[in-house]
Amino acid sequence: MNQLIPAIGFGLITASILCIAAVGFTLQFSVTNILNLAYGDIMTACAFAAYLANHAGVNIWLAMVIAALFGAVFSVVINRFVYFQFVRRGTRLFGMIIVTIAMSLIIQNVLLAIFRPTFFSYHTSPGPSYNFGGMIFTASQLAIIGIAVAAMLAVHLLSTRTKLGKAMRATATNPSLARSCGIATDQVIDVAWFVSGALCGIAGVALVLNTATFSEVTGAGFLVPIIAAAILGGIGQPYGAMLGALTIGLASEIAATVISPSYKDVVAFAILIVVLLVRPQGILSEVATAKEVAV
Amino acid sequence: MSDQTQFYLSTLLIYLFIDIIGVLGLNLQFGVAGIINFAYIVFVAVGAYTAAVLSLGPDYPGNFQHYVFGANLPFPLPIVAAGVASGLLSLVVGVISLRRLRSDYQAMVMLVLSLIATLVATNATGLVNGPAGLATVPQPLYDWLGLAPLDYQWAYAGWCAVLTAVIFLFVRGITNSPLGRSLRAMRDNDRAAAALGKNVTAMRLLIFVVGGAIAGISGAVFVEFIQAWSPGSWLYPETFVFLAAILVGGAANNWGVMLGTLLVPVGFLEATRFLPQVFYNGFIEAMQWVCVGLLILVFLWFRPGGLIPERAGRYKPRAEAPSGTSE
Amino acid sequence: MTEQDAPILSVRDVQRDFGGVKAVDGATFNAQRGRITGLIGPNGAGKSTLMGIVAGAIKPMAGTVSFEGRDITGQPPHRIARHGLIRTFQLSAEFAKLTVLENLMVAAPGQKGESLLGAELGPLYWGRSEASLVRTARDVLDRFAMAPKENELAGNLSGGQKRLLEIMRALMAKPKMLLLDEPFAGVNPTLAREIERYLLDLRAEGLSMIMVEHELAVVERICDPVVVMAQGKVISEGSMRDVSARKEVLDAYLVG
Repeated sequence: MNQLIPAIGFGLITASILCIAAVGFTLQFSVTNILNLAYGDIMTACAFAAYLANHAGVNIWLAMVIAALFGAVFSVVINRFVYFQFVRRGTRLFGMIIVTIAMSLIIQNVLLAIFRPTFFSYHTSPGPSYNFGGMIFTASQLAIIGIAVAAMLAVHLLSTRTKLGKAMRATATNPSLARSCGIATDQVIDVAWFVSGALCGIAGVALVLNTATFSEVTGAGFLVPIIAAAILGGIGQPYGAMLGALTIGLASEIAATVISPSYKDVVAFAILIVVLLVRPQGILSEVATAKEVAV
Repeated sequence: MSDQTQFYLSTLLIYLFIDIIGVLGLNLQFGVAGIINFAYIVFVAVGAYTAAVLSLGPDYPGNFQHYVFGANLPFPLPIVAAGVASGLLSLVVGVISLRRLRSDYQAMVMLVLSLIATLVATNATGLVNGPAGLATVPQPLYDWLGLAPLDYQWAYAGWCAVLTAVIFLFVRGITNSPLGRSLRAMRDNDRAAAALGKNVTAMRLLIFVVGGAIAGISGAVFVEFIQAWSPGSWLYPETFVFLAAILVGGAANNWGVMLGTLLVPVGFLEATRFLPQVFYNGFIEAMQWVCVGLLILVFLWFRPGGLIPERAGRYKPRAEAPSGTSE
Repeated sequence: MTEQDAPILSVRDVQRDFGGVKAVDGATFNAQRGRITGLIGPNGAGKSTLMGIVAGAIKPMAGTVSFEGRDITGQPPHRIARHGLIRTFQLSAEFAKLTVLENLMVAAPGQKGESLLGAELGPLYWGRSEASLVRTARDVLDRFAMAPKENELAGNLSGGQKRLLEIMRALMAKPKMLLLDEPFAGVNPTLAREIERYLLDLRAEGLSMIMVEHELAVVERICDPVVVMAQGKVISEGSMRDVSARKEVLDAYLVG
């Protein structure tokens, strides 16, 4: 039982990283109806961007900002020049998934080709440890949790208080209706991918900060928990993604501590497959029946 | 021709036939019937593992590898059993996971299953020896034939050729028949097919099982040649090499996908093997995967029908001229 | 009531909710043999949902549907089609990568060569019935003046040609009754007149039909009787003339 408290602590950290990532993932889905299976690999690319900056002398937190910017631009470029082009041509849903998987293969292996099959880490220290009633966090980890909370707050404010946020929600719900109300959906989509790309970058760096070393497959290995969190909460629903992230983050770490470490991955897999087969719309959403890609 | 060249060529030929068998099965599922099976490689693996554990002798304590069964069965029983095992697994998986889902969700279900299968095989060490996999799988009829290694390879290639021909005829029997037509209709619009009286659930399951069995046979013949099999041999991207062969060659066209197999898994991937190792060991492999991804994108964009596109049915023309026209 | 007078299709107290909204709320009506029964009503009345329920695509939460005296409530679409109840789709549902001829041939029920064993036995087994199927399909093509398009991929047809294909395909399925889902929506007037003629010819040959349609002018010309739905219920039945004079119908259309 006294293992449970630290496990919850680990769970909160994992949940934080998952939260940032899953909200980004679900945001991309909400405006373009695409499950971007290259998301994990874009996270890795961002982690490498931060690595390059970091090893050139930049402080890791500043490098995270750089990674966020890189992720933002990279994501917009990929959507505009690859995904959107296929969508405009009328590629169907599973055709799009093949496109995103091909993208994933390309990104992952380009990273491998550039950086070689070895392990990397950042020049940073975790900082002093703090004890919160049995849960032990390093300063870095607390920072990650703080960043997650701040990011979620920012997304919430953006979505509910700004015109842009309202435009994004309108585009997500009904693109053609949004267009006829005068919303420039193309630009809204660009912004949504910019924001979600930034979240992707932040999550990538946070993931690496939490796992000490990384390689070209680190991000891809995190993809299943991300998708699980997004789909569990209801794909396309940012608040659902937050809920899903919390659930999966906590459940994985508790299972890893209480049952066995190899069960950490299994939990996310099991939840994802069960949700897909039993309640594909997740907790909050109504999506799941065939709805073709938004143009 | 030197012995070394002959060894290489015969190996290449064997790989070609085995890949063709695999691709024909996936083409039946995906190209003809429209079933999105991103876990196809798992069924190849199940066939390989089944053939391996049935050909190997019994496990014993102190053995360097641990596995189930170990029945020491003679050729061709392990291959038959492999087809049956993969077919049965396809039935179970199909019943559970082929649903009325949006097609990208369906794709994800299969992909996740593929990942789960890898997890299970890697962690359940007593099953098929976990991450190290199985080795020393006996080659069929090796002792009985008593051939020199090179001659055995050519004989094996001949055996693969025969098997490929049989499976090609079997698959073609489906695609060129009314069943093939109904499958393609189901692929194009399953709601409309159901509204015309086609039991799409049953058809889908049937083809999923048949394709799965073919996958299993492909895996069995493969493992009996290379004599080893581990989780590293069947990671999820392997399905996409088959997919690339189908997209490049021509989905739903049996000749097309055979051409695609010649070009992609065999031609392209083998040819690049001869490039000198630049930068570091493994750079070429990484670039190969980049190219597989690019090939998929390029063909999906420029020529989604593939090099030899699907052939719609042609029937004997009428004797007399038809009447009138509308619009 | 004699055998001939018994309705071919009978819908009783059918109910279906979607997320709290009562799409169909106790709908009841009969369709008679050899008639084109119109199903009309304002948007949101539940017509499409009711059609979907009759065709087996949607499961009702309560109520029964009987076809030729047989209870078909809740049966899957392919079984309902096998009974002879064939539905057409409003949006193009052609088999795009099959030729026009193949689209027609695939619709025929009970083909040799559709089972795995039959397929593998090859043309020796199913060749003869295939040839006769080709002849039947060509006859249908001739009837609808689409013969030159025989080898055209269905995906390449124009919108109007796809509409005709939909009807031809339905005919190949040996229907006893057609469920037509807005066959005239977005169709140009010339083609609409053609389709009307074809439908009337089919009725004269004894085919029963239910037609969901918004084009009230067409409904008036070819449907008798007409069933009016509003808010998930059937609010009126009768000839178009009678029904369009009734207060509850006018109210329903005004309120929408």
